[in-house]
Amino acid sequence: MRPTAPRPGQRAGVMAVEGQKQRTISDSHNTQNLPGDVVRLEGAPPTGDLAVDEAYDGLGATYDLYWEAYDRNSIDDDGLPLDATVHFGQEYDNAFWNGERMVFGDGDEELFNRFTISLDVIGHELTHGVTEDEAQLIYLFQPGALNESISDVFGSLVKQRTLDQTAAQADWLIGAGLFTANVHGVALRSMKAPGTAYDDPVLGKDPQPAHMNDYVRTFADNGGVHINSGIPNHAFYLVATLIGGYAWEKAGRIWYETLRDSRLRPNTGFKRFAGITLATAQRLYGTTGLEQQAVRDGWSQVGIVVT
Amino acid sequence: MRIEFTTEGGIAHFPGLARPVVIESNALPEAEASDLGRLLEAARFFERPAVAEPPRRGAADYRQYTMTVQEGSRRHTVKVIEPVEDPTLQALLRFLQTKARELRRGSRES
Repeated sequence: MRPTAPRPGQRAGVMAVEGQKQRTISDSHNTQNLPGDVVRLEGAPPTGDLAVDEAYDGLGATYDLYWEAYDRNSIDDDGLPLDATVHFGQEYDNAFWNGERMVFGDGDEELFNRFTISLDVIGHELTHGVTEDEAQLIYLFQPGALNESISDVFGSLVKQRTLDQTAAQADWLIGAGLFTANVHGVALRSMKAPGTAYDDPVLGKDPQPAHMNDYVRTFADNGGVHINSGIPNHAFYLVATLIGGYAWEKAGRIWYETLRDSRLRPNTGFKRFAGITLATAQRLYGTTGLEQQAVRDGWSQVGIVVT
Repeated sequence: MRIEFTTEGGIAHFPGLARPVVIESNALPEAEASDLGRLLEAARFFERPAVAEPPRRGAADYRQYTMTVQEGSRRHTVKVIEPVEDPTLQALLRFLQTKARELRRGSRES
């Protein structure tokens, strides 16, 4: 554990123990009752229930990324306890953030396995809490797609850091392992190659674009929040790959500081977000360095020019 | 009776799962058709408001369901957002999801 001296940005008057996780995993026992019964508290040994233990470990890995890489103490940077519920519903094919906790279904075992199986999905859900705390990006159209993309970015970084992978080594998939063997596909999304994660008779074809030329105008899915997130996702992949090394160190830091930037308003679209990433890269790593050039090039390759 | 059932959202957008599914009660086995009638009655479907309550602030990746029931001259649409707390709506949704799954299974087998 690190020393508990106040850091810049810490809320005044709060004496949270920094760097100390407070996880609570509950079990809905295949009902839709929330929060369910508490089955594992912080510090308790594994239960032997895969979903419970994966949620516990996944929340821990996500907390550790935010704390160790970005000096952030939990969802609210103030030590907020991390709560998750597993075994939610029957044959339940989803995981979601309800504004207070992460909720994971077991999947129907026909298309989907249990939703705790992918570490990046756990990181994705927790990051929705971080985004709400910092930016309140509206869950519609471009701000919603940015909200989704930020969850994919940090979800993927949790996995990369846990596996000790560089940007070049990472698979950049979101939700690998989630599909059963019946499905023709590898994951929910690919940040490296949006639009290629699955092509299946039941699920259809991965609809994600990788470039603004292919931006999908739709009212479905809250205005395509899980569709057009492919564009900023791919930009992040490109920036991280151009910078090289561990993606959470520089590219992740640029995106994290962008998320905390006061210019990031709830209605921010892709271009404004991209502009803030460039300003952040210049502030952190200089106006002439590789990092700011990588940010420019990454966005440019998805059709967004930032100056 | 004819029901159109649409699922949207969730942690990913799957075009195949977002397509509306149509269930005709007269194409169902008799026992299932009467189950469906009972579920709609228990949920007081035709008396429900058409628009769901908005999602909780900051919530994400939730699914939304749209159910349109046409029965004789009556037609009503109800939209709900998860988590669905009402057990009668949960039971109705579970029935519709099971039927939708059966219908979609056909597209893998064909």
